[in-house]
Amino acid sequence: MGVGGKWVDRDSDPVVRPYAVTGGRTEPADGAVIDLIAVVMNSGRPAEPTDQLGLGPEHRRILNLCRHPATVADVASDTGLPIGVVRVLLADLIQQGRIKVLPGRPAGQKPSAQLLREVLHGLRAL
Amino acid sequence: MGSGLSDPGPEGPLATFKILIAGGFGAGKTTFVGAISEVRPLRTEEALTSAGVSHDDVAGVENKTTTTVAMDFGRITLGDRRVLYLFGTPGQERFWFMWDDLSCGALGAVVLADTRRLADCFASIDYFEKRRLAFVVAINCFDGAHRYDPAEVRAALDLRPGVPVVLCDARQAESAKHVLIALVELILDSTPDEDHEIRAAPAAPAAPPLV
Repeated sequence: MGVGGKWVDRDSDPVVRPYAVTGGRTEPADGAVIDLIAVVMNSGRPAEPTDQLGLGPEHRRILNLCRHPATVADVASDTGLPIGVVRVLLADLIQQGRIKVLPGRPAGQKPSAQLLREVLHGLRAL
Repeated sequence: MGSGLSDPGPEGPLATFKILIAGGFGAGKTTFVGAISEVRPLRTEEALTSAGVSHDDVAGVENKTTTTVAMDFGRITLGDRRVLYLFGTPGQERFWFMWDDLSCGALGAVVLADTRRLADCFASIDYFEKRRLAFVVAINCFDGAHRYDPAEVRAALDLRPGVPVVLCDARQAESAKHVLIALVELILDSTPDEDHEIRAAPAAPAAPPLV
């Protein structure tokens, strides 16, 4: 159980209650829920002393992962963090201008026939 | 890792799509997603906290503050700029509030049916009909299960005529691919073609030439 004084589970990740890494916050700071398949990317903006919120290790992991475009779902899977937690952390980083959401189809808008044909051709070519 | 998307190039924005994989417990959702995903089946967890309490019945378990729900998802890159995500929906009914999040903006859904427990997929079918989300029913042909004719399954499920019923083996990538193709063809059939719309529109008066 205890290894080096830390609680670990069978995959040797430290045991931390999911929303502990957000400081107990369950809602994104700006109230906006980012779509699961929205594409996010590190904006390249460095940290500034005026940034209100100190970044935790999970924030930094996300920044590191997002050097390449990734969806919210990818970030959740790669970090092993619940999607709700990832949304809170991403919202912090978006507010600081460290992460940008790449423009995409607005959630709820149906894709065009042209886009659907591309998906169909892509599937057939698999 | 290595599961990030490629950098956006000059060829236009990256477009992402999602399809839900639904069905009763044990109908093969995880298997289906794993068979066709280009990456090892990705798993993510959703934690229910007070944020989920209004939706989640916690009567009698008030002291239980968090529950995690595992959710499978897979990724299929289609060419340079198009990425399709598959989300296996959590089976238990008490996690249905998550379906609203998952189905928002989804292209459509695959309902996996196990003919030994056909009633298990009724709830998914009801949900997608109510949300007016396009779906196909894929009969997962388990070894040892009696092979039903798709027409029999259609009748048993009381499906509308437009809903395709296909047979599949959720373990086979090729089979999963054909199910997804059937779904995208269905969606495309109900999507107006931009070219036709433009041609059908009355001709706009010619703009005056710029001087």
